[in-house]
Amino acid sequence: MEQVVANGLYLGAQYALIALGLTLIFALMNVLNFAHGQMYVLGGFITYYVYGQLGLPFAVALLASGATLAAAGALIEKFLFRPVIRRSIREESTMLLAAAVAFFLDAVILLLFGEKQRGVPKIVNGVFLSDALIMPYDRLLIGAVALVTIAMFMLLMQYTKPGRAMRALAQDRVAAQLMGVRVDRYSMIGFALGAMLAGVAGGLLVAITGVNAGIGGPISVKAFMMVMIGGAGVVGGAIAGGFILGMLESVGLSVLHAYGDITYLVIFATLIVFLSIRPNGLMGKPWG
Amino acid sequence: MPTSKLIWVLGFLALTLVAVPWMIAVTGRSDLYYTLTAVALLAIASGGVWLTFYIGRINIGQAAYALLGGYFSAILVVRYGVPFWLTLPLAGLLCAGASVLIGLPILRLRGVYFAMVTLVLTEVTRLLALALPVTNGAKGLVNIPLPGPITLFGVALLPDFSTLANPRRAFYFAAVVLMVVCYAGLYRLVHSRIGRLCLSLQQNEELAASIGVNVAYLRLVVYAISSFLGGIAGAMFIAISQSIYPSSFTTADSINFMLNCFLGGLGYVLGPMLGTFLLYFGWDLLFNAGQFQLLIFSAVLIVLMLTLPNGLLSLRPWKKMKEAVGG
Amino acid sequence: MDDILQISGLTKRFGGLIAVHNVSFSVREGEILSVIGPNGAGKSTLFKLVASFLRPTAGEVRFRGKRISGLSPHTVARMGVVRTFQETTIFKGMTVRENVIIAHQLRARASLPGFYFGSPTARNDETEFGKSADEILKLLGLDRIQDEPALALPHGHLRALGMAIGLATNPKVLLLDEPFAGMNHDETMRAVEMVRGVRDRGVTILLVEHDMPAVMQISHRIVVLNFGEKIAEGTPTEIRQDEKVIEAYLGIEDETIGF
Repeated sequence: MEQVVANGLYLGAQYALIALGLTLIFALMNVLNFAHGQMYVLGGFITYYVYGQLGLPFAVALLASGATLAAAGALIEKFLFRPVIRRSIREESTMLLAAAVAFFLDAVILLLFGEKQRGVPKIVNGVFLSDALIMPYDRLLIGAVALVTIAMFMLLMQYTKPGRAMRALAQDRVAAQLMGVRVDRYSMIGFALGAMLAGVAGGLLVAITGVNAGIGGPISVKAFMMVMIGGAGVVGGAIAGGFILGMLESVGLSVLHAYGDITYLVIFATLIVFLSIRPNGLMGKPWG
Repeated sequence: MPTSKLIWVLGFLALTLVAVPWMIAVTGRSDLYYTLTAVALLAIASGGVWLTFYIGRINIGQAAYALLGGYFSAILVVRYGVPFWLTLPLAGLLCAGASVLIGLPILRLRGVYFAMVTLVLTEVTRLLALALPVTNGAKGLVNIPLPGPITLFGVALLPDFSTLANPRRAFYFAAVVLMVVCYAGLYRLVHSRIGRLCLSLQQNEELAASIGVNVAYLRLVVYAISSFLGGIAGAMFIAISQSIYPSSFTTADSINFMLNCFLGGLGYVLGPMLGTFLLYFGWDLLFNAGQFQLLIFSAVLIVLMLTLPNGLLSLRPWKKMKEAVGG
Repeated sequence: MDDILQISGLTKRFGGLIAVHNVSFSVREGEILSVIGPNGAGKSTLFKLVASFLRPTAGEVRFRGKRISGLSPHTVARMGVVRTFQETTIFKGMTVRENVIIAHQLRARASLPGFYFGSPTARNDETEFGKSADEILKLLGLDRIQDEPALALPHGHLRALGMAIGLATNPKVLLLDEPFAGMNHDETMRAVEMVRGVRDRGVTILLVEHDMPAVMQISHRIVVLNFGEKIAEGTPTEIRQDEKVIEAYLGIEDETIGF
């Protein structure tokens, strides 16, 4: 029992990181970042390269992942999303642009890193053993780092000037503009931040489960599910969604193990029922 | 049907059913039969997605119905010996039925929420195919026989495909005819009162309700038609490839259907047909780029989104005016 | 005259906010009844409740004795209680005439497949709709611009179109949401005549308005709301002299002036 909960928590922390990035981008720009999974994968590969191949400390590798994705995010926002948002009549254009970017990143990742599954050496050895649960130290560490990152993110959003600007932007774009918030600059910062979170999450998880070029899509799908559960555009919702999905996965894997791979089927069926009752997720802002 | 439209249709049929086979015979590029067949079938599926756009929903789950339709048809043919041509509409109807069950809870969602749910739908169908015993899991269903004949009163309307020297060409004809029939149906739908009602849904669901439109019902009917189209496209595909796996249709396909609609222009019935043609051929042409195929393709897509954010058919000036007024 | 609409104990709560509280009144068949009140009095919410676009927290609405609150909006429309919209909502992508024709939908006798295949019933419907549309357009003075795209219409014509859409449904009760808003004196007078013309066709009218002179001129009876509650009900003369009404409106005026 405690094992299931502990696994759920540590998974949940990772997932929350991914969901946070996605929901931030959605809140700021009303864009569903299809490429989020690919950004995660890219982060994982960069950490693999810096830590696994170059042998630099893990922290440096994480920083590299974060920084690269932040830069990529900023560029993508400024040169791709901004002009399209400005010019299109329909809101689906941005969704399609995101899909095209996802394909592009998939291609880049394949070219740069190949198809193989990659892993890195354990960052910390040893296992925490008790009567109730077994938790390898590296998972504990990763979980802790994830939680710290989430906490830092929330502090940033709550107390710093850029954080407040972004929240204002998410709430009411026009009002924020009237109050002097530089919409362009903070959209870019927000997107970069969202991408960075995805990249860091990827870097963290490569230390546990490894990474390969093909999981970008499924990760995006999972991220969407978290956001659906918790509600799009709300930070609390993303965190809740991440932890709930992590917990559901953990419970599902242990309980439904006998029935085969139907964990996600069950999750999805429950999700549909849940969405019928609460279409905007737990805390989401309504569309439009 | 007005004469001018009829002439267009006949012209199109003449082009595709006569001119193209002749050109293929002359140039010896019989591989093109498969390419064009794929385009035709994918265009049908994309047409379904386009229809969902017409009631104001972003449908990224069509591949789920293609997979579902494919499996329905394959199971009926392999396990129950049902003739393929009968399974084709059956698969469509079964998909429509499934879509009603799924649509009931999800169609009230809008925008991104609906899009997200449909995206997950494709993935879940794949998992379902992996898990259920009847679909044979990851091994899939293979050695699916070619379609049999359709005979009426002893007269063979359609030959047994296994007896044909060039089944690829026969599939091509079948696919093109199917596509034309489907698009004719879509065209009629859009230009009938039902199309107007859908437009009213797109523009203002509350106002539509206040003039007596049963919004939930209409949405469900349209979604069912859309999924029907996905189902028959999938079923037909399986007949050609003679095998089906859980990975036969993926989320990438769902996204591609949407891209096809978008590229062609969401305001026009023929948009998805044009979009599918361009994107598929574009992808195929890049085959020689080897490992750079996806890179170049997606880069071109991005450039297209930057320059033509409202789709291809919006370029032509008079159509642009029509769209501005038509919303 | 019978009561065509009975509103009893209607209450609507949004979370902690009570928008409408225990409102009761009846609308007599063939009359024009206006609901007025200061801003935020709950008029819009009341409207949405009557047309069943919102579910009441308590209370009910009855149409000719039959309960309609809680039914889906399109069902209520089919029964004859039709609402027009505050934001001059129309179908922007169609012409004026097309807007009115499509609004005939609930009179359609053909089914969806009928319309698809062009059955005789469907064709019959279309012809009838066309005729009825022409008549309505003429009544509301829109016939000259019937082929204009609806989104290009000036303000006054948009209102008329909104009313035309409502009329196309052949309603028994028409709920007009601020029909005179944003109009100058001449436009308002014309609109008043229009509403009278609609009523003379046998339609009962329930309207929500701010424009006092127009309301006083056109209404048979008036209901006054303040802070979600009914504070007065009566003829225009009675309302004009009602102390509570004067206080409600003057009170607001004092605030804005700053006494």
